Amino acid sequence: MTETASTGQGGGDVRLTGISKKYGSFQAVQPLDLTVQQGSFFALLGASGCGKTTTLRMIAGLEEPTTGTVLLGDRDVTGLPPYKRPVNTVFQSYALFPHLDIYENVAFGLRRRGIKSVKKQVGEMLDLVQLGDYARRKPQQLSGGQQQRVAVARALINRPQVLLLDEPLGALDLKLRRQMQLELKRIQTEVGVTFIHVTHDQEEAMTMADSIAVMSAGRVEQLGTPGDLYENPGTTFVANFLGTSNLIETEVVGRDGDAITVSGSGGCKLTLPAARCSAPTGNGRKVLVGVRPEKMAISHADDAGTIPEGRNRVPGRIAGTSFIGVSTQYVVDSAVCPRLEVYAQNIERDGRLAPGADVVLHWNPQHTFGLGADQDIAAGEEAAS
Amino acid sequence: MTATTAPPDAPPVTGGEPPRRRAFRRGRLVPYWLLLPGILWLIVFFLVPLVYQASTSVQTGSLENGFQVTWHFQTYWDALQQYYPQFLRSLLYAAVATLLCLVVGYPLAYLIAFRAGRHRNLLLVLVIAPFFTSFLIRTLAWKTILADGGPVVGFLSSAHILDITAALGWTSGHRVLATPLAVVTGLTYNFLPFMILPLYTSLERIDHRLHEAAGDLYATPWTTFRKVTFPMSLPGVVSGTLLTFIPSSGDYVNAQLLGSADTKMIGSVIQSQFLTVLDYPTAAALSFILMAVVLFVVTFYIRRAGTEELL
Amino acid sequence: MAASRWIRRHLVVIAGLVTLAYMILPNVVVMVFSFNKPTGRFNYSWNHFSLDAWKSPCGAAGLCGSLGLSLQIAVYATIAATILGTMIAFALVRYRFHGRGPVNSLIFLPMAMPEVVMAASLLTLFLNLGAQLGFWTILIAHIMFCLSFVVVAVKARVLSMDPRLEEAARDLYAGPVQTFVRVTLPIAAPGIVAGALLSFALSFDDFIITNFNAGSTVTFPMFVWGSAQRGTPVQINVVGTAMFLIAVLIVVVGQAVSSRRGKSAATS
Repeated sequence: MTETASTGQGGGDVRLTGISKKYGSFQAVQPLDLTVQQGSFFALLGASGCGKTTTLRMIAGLEEPTTGTVLLGDRDVTGLPPYKRPVNTVFQSYALFPHLDIYENVAFGLRRRGIKSVKKQVGEMLDLVQLGDYARRKPQQLSGGQQQRVAVARALINRPQVLLLDEPLGALDLKLRRQMQLELKRIQTEVGVTFIHVTHDQEEAMTMADSIAVMSAGRVEQLGTPGDLYENPGTTFVANFLGTSNLIETEVVGRDGDAITVSGSGGCKLTLPAARCSAPTGNGRKVLVGVRPEKMAISHADDAGTIPEGRNRVPGRIAGTSFIGVSTQYVVDSAVCPRLEVYAQNIERDGRLAPGADVVLHWNPQHTFGLGADQDIAAGEEAAS
Repeated sequence: MTATTAPPDAPPVTGGEPPRRRAFRRGRLVPYWLLLPGILWLIVFFLVPLVYQASTSVQTGSLENGFQVTWHFQTYWDALQQYYPQFLRSLLYAAVATLLCLVVGYPLAYLIAFRAGRHRNLLLVLVIAPFFTSFLIRTLAWKTILADGGPVVGFLSSAHILDITAALGWTSGHRVLATPLAVVTGLTYNFLPFMILPLYTSLERIDHRLHEAAGDLYATPWTTFRKVTFPMSLPGVVSGTLLTFIPSSGDYVNAQLLGSADTKMIGSVIQSQFLTVLDYPTAAALSFILMAVVLFVVTFYIRRAGTEELL
Repeated sequence: MAASRWIRRHLVVIAGLVTLAYMILPNVVVMVFSFNKPTGRFNYSWNHFSLDAWKSPCGAAGLCGSLGLSLQIAVYATIAATILGTMIAFALVRYRFHGRGPVNSLIFLPMAMPEVVMAASLLTLFLNLGAQLGFWTILIAHIMFCLSFVVVAVKARVLSMDPRLEEAARDLYAGPVQTFVRVTLPIAAPGIVAGALLSFALSFDDFIITNFNAGSTVTFPMFVWGSAQRGTPVQINVVGTAMFLIAVLIVVVGQAVSSRRGKSAATS
């Protein structure tokens, strides 16, 4: 029973309070509070150097926090070395022991805790990751995807309270990465352990995680479910880093109940729901109005009359198009904002929509969000690419 | 099997500062403990002896009455005046042997790195294996190979090569043994693996596609070698030449076994002054000068080659 | 025309093989002359075939004693230098500490120093201390010059080792000692073995430093040196040939074992 005791069936959430890390004068992680619910799949998302890996390593015990505490359930583990924490890690590039075979790699943690009969558990674990036939191979004889699964098995067999994954799919090619995303999700659902997953790939985070913390420059920018973050980005960084956003500089000119009216350069009037604006909305306030490229529709200027009333409209001219199969991407220059991006489904393609054509972009005002204009409008664009 | 809620090996969680700080302080001393015995050994048996040697070199006295430090720097001057031919000869022989090692060793290193295919390991073994026979025995074998009237000398003589080398002062008469040529042959032979292995290591790292890329960009094989391969193998060339030059400059085994009184190198002089003549100050001064010259040459060379992180 | 093109194309191969022949020729001579029955005291010119020396390898007075002494010193020096050198290498790669520069120089210098200088200076130390020259002074000297080579060999291996492997071990419930024994040491082993082999070879074959600091003790290289003056027994060639063959055998067996192990692992 000892082995299950350390795995904490009573468990609980992972709570970071005021945790920060400083290397010399470089503040890698600003003091942050974070709670990860037991059994959830949590992603720390951000560009390289944003402090996400450092945060993960502080939970693992591989890095000592400068300030703050790490709690697993009610237990303070801040001062514990990694080998005394009921937490296991899947390392970037896996860190499989090259001198041990797959079986011994997976059995490593059990053996270190003095468990003698490991055969059954190791067998089950290898079956879970579908590598039962590879037990006696050396890590370097396995493909990248197989090594990745061994790394997961080696960590999971210890039934940790929390499994930490540090860019676990970074070394795989795109197709395999997609496959492994589903695989990891399946394993997580099957074993029900809390997963904390560090990644720089926003698509990966959105596919897999129940909730995501977007990090930038050692700070958590925003925390929420994937859908919430995507639909209601709280900062320009999140708006640009998660997917693509068209951000338009405007000024508030009026308010009608729940709807705010703003005016962009050229006098173009747009409306957005007050509830979706995170910035102050008094008259004369500057606001960045955002809309996702796939929410916009594009019509040729000749058809402007057929656009239903009540939709936000922006006139412009097509600067470029690129055909990508399921959709076509248009780049539209407008007086309101240069370089607006629009994705149109390829249902009925309008032959007139070629570079140089005058068009009207229109969308449901409900799909518009507002951000404070005091931020860098391009924040997160570099990081996302 | 107890149903505790904490792992069996976990100490009571204090979450406080004291245990962590103690661990940190202990951790900070670890490297010093690791270094201590080895570094102490090097200090006591490498550095301190150099100091003793420096002090011996400025002593005067005799074996019977003992030696005293008298700051007698005249010893250096006298030693240089008396033994500068051996000094210059040592540096010359070492330089020639190093150059020969480079010229002779490069093709073999290149062959093993790029052209050996599945025979690569075999060739490497053949390069290293001779090492396992004591180098003195192998050097003595050169006495047989270069023996007067032997096939090698016979060939060189009938091909009139010995006439040329004799004219250059490398050999005398119809002999190779007991001439500079024999000594340099022995030096080159003995230190060749020290040239080949670093060369091979740096050549082996070169991506084969670079050769193809150079060929694709209109470089002939020779240009490829000059502009791509050789520059990229420079770290190996630098460390190889150092590993050959340093030991050959102080060597006296080859000069003694294969040479004559006219090919005496500075190592022989130091050895006989120390072990036979028992003139310790002169021997120490000579040794000190040799050290200074070699260190100067090495530093200058490494600076020029711009690979200070090399060794 | 075709022949000259063939030569040009294979110039590197030809030159390389000529060099290889140059390197191996003396070993061949040593081997052949181990079957010689020389006329005089010196075994430099061929007389006629004989197995005498092979039948009594210890037939030359003092040879086997010196060989045993050399082996003994080489084993002790290798053990000590490997332990001390490995410790230094780990400190250099794995820790930050003050004085890294001087430590690096101190390790580099013995390799950049002509042997005769180290030999002479060590002798001045022993003379000044009034130490009795012999087994212990030789051993001290050998440990000293082998140390740096071990450091270089082990350092290279540890440097190329992913520090995440040790983190992974600690993450998987291995404490500091367990991490070292179960992960660090096995992965660093090839470097340590390489350093040890190099130490053994250097110590066993050392002549110059030993010659200065041996007093009246005679190691195998010193025995050969002495015999070059007094007369070379054929048994020297027997020992030289045997060492060569044993070394080649070890390499070949090692290669076969490692390749078979690789194969069986791949097919299991």
